[in-house]
Amino acid sequence: MTDSALATNPAPVAAAAAPKLVVRDLHFYYNGFHALKGISMDIPEKQVTAIIGPSGCGKSTLLRVFNRIYAIYPKLEAKGSIELDGANILDPGYSLNRLRSKVGMVFQKPVPFPMTIFENVAYGIRHHEKLSKTDMEGRVEQALRSAALWDEVKDKLKQNALGLSGGQQQRLCIARAIALRPEVLLLDEPTSALDPIATSRIEQLVEELKSQFTIVMVTHNMQQAARVSDLTAFMYLGELIEFDQTEKIFTKPGKKQTEDYITGRFG
Amino acid sequence: MSALYLRRRVTNAAAMTLSMLATLVGLAFLAWILWETLRQGIGALDLKLFTKVTAYGEDGGLLNSMVGSLVINFIGIGIATPIGVLAGTWLAEYANRTKLGESIRFLNDILLSAPSIVMGLFVYTIIVLPSTALTHGSTTFSGFAGGVALALIALPVIVRTTDEMLRLVPSTLREAALSLGVPQWKLTLQILIRAARSGIITGVLLALARISGETAPLLFTAFGNNYMAWNPMDKMSSLPQIIYQYANDPGEAMHALAWAGAFVVTMFVLLLSLVSRLILSRTKVSHD
Repeated sequence: MTDSALATNPAPVAAAAAPKLVVRDLHFYYNGFHALKGISMDIPEKQVTAIIGPSGCGKSTLLRVFNRIYAIYPKLEAKGSIELDGANILDPGYSLNRLRSKVGMVFQKPVPFPMTIFENVAYGIRHHEKLSKTDMEGRVEQALRSAALWDEVKDKLKQNALGLSGGQQQRLCIARAIALRPEVLLLDEPTSALDPIATSRIEQLVEELKSQFTIVMVTHNMQQAARVSDLTAFMYLGELIEFDQTEKIFTKPGKKQTEDYITGRFG
Repeated sequence: MSALYLRRRVTNAAAMTLSMLATLVGLAFLAWILWETLRQGIGALDLKLFTKVTAYGEDGGLLNSMVGSLVINFIGIGIATPIGVLAGTWLAEYANRTKLGESIRFLNDILLSAPSIVMGLFVYTIIVLPSTALTHGSTTFSGFAGGVALALIALPVIVRTTDEMLRLVPSTLREAALSLGVPQWKLTLQILIRAARSGIITGVLLALARISGETAPLLFTAFGNNYMAWNPMDKMSSLPQIIYQYANDPGEAMHALAWAGAFVVTMFVLLLSLVSRLILSRTKVSHD
């Protein structure tokens, strides 16, 4: 599916689709340490953008700026601008509540809340919207269906979510994030704690979800980036080395460093 | 190769033997204490222990002391639990890694190891003496003052366990909730406290076990009372205090009563520990 889309549309990145997130000259500091150095990129709407690079290159840091989750820790600072639909989310005046209802996030390890499966999904919705009982049930079912989990849990919605398997827990976390109907979905190495079967289910799910959401995904696994993403960004030591169509990055990369990394010469 | 294996097996056997010995020593003393309190107290362990008050002396029981202990412990834990849980939550969720938080955590640790008699004297000074002045000279020892003294002992235990249990909750759980736009207070009340719930309850029960054996802080506060008292504003008897008093008595029957009282306290503490263990193991929440 990705291949044919690329074959018929070999246009350059910027023109591939309307940009959803526009990153300009983004710098990030951990207590003075310069972790992101002048990142600029346009992340297109309703496509999957993968960020790859060796450990410590700043890829997770970049992802964590997109919903400002870094702000819960002291001494972290972001400079530059990230526009989401034209508004700069790094502006202190941009409401965190609004940002986080628009930009959902799924983490490396599945972290269900200590409540029932139903409540895990309903919890976030309840904070943002007042829904009747039947509406809420509909919303939860819809989210669980979109996360390809409904059939496995429909008979045990009242059971504790911690009883699910790791892969199911991770799909529950995805359901929880998409239940808020965000526009952007951030996935931080979502399959690194899962077995190959659970991983392929999540990858399938990412393919399905991109028709509704703009997906940005950090991954350690280059095959995964090649399999599921439309665009790939390669980062190294806090800099964005190359950002292009996934097919181009993996077949004829423009930079020597990218080529060295994807051919396994370092990293 | 086989020499290496042999050495490892010998070392392993030696370490195993030593740790088993250490466990045995610990368990042996526990069994000995239980056995001895039971053996010495069995003569007094009868119905009148639970039905008569201490005013009858060797023909009496310990009913008023048990009631006093329950009331005083209840006051103590009732004061310490809300303050301790809130303070521990503040330390873990709002003041973690700040200078103020670190200093308060340090002070709390000092309070944790403060001698309990100091707590008794402190409460004597701030509650018993001033209220004595208010009542024109009649001394006003009270169960309430005893409860406050016990609260001061339980408080740092509860602060410490709440703080530690909350800090054990993985930060990814906080990030996951905050990334849904949930505000900090909701996250703390509805998710973190729930995730750490069994640990916090265990801390409270262990604090209760700790204070139910305290004698020193009650001597200057609840004082003691040979008759039944339900009103916490009255002088009150308590099990540890009556054990102390009867153990100092020359009469054999009084000693037996003291042993029986010791057995009741020990069983109560044992039961609390078992219950807290049960809670911990039943609602164990794993995040890894």
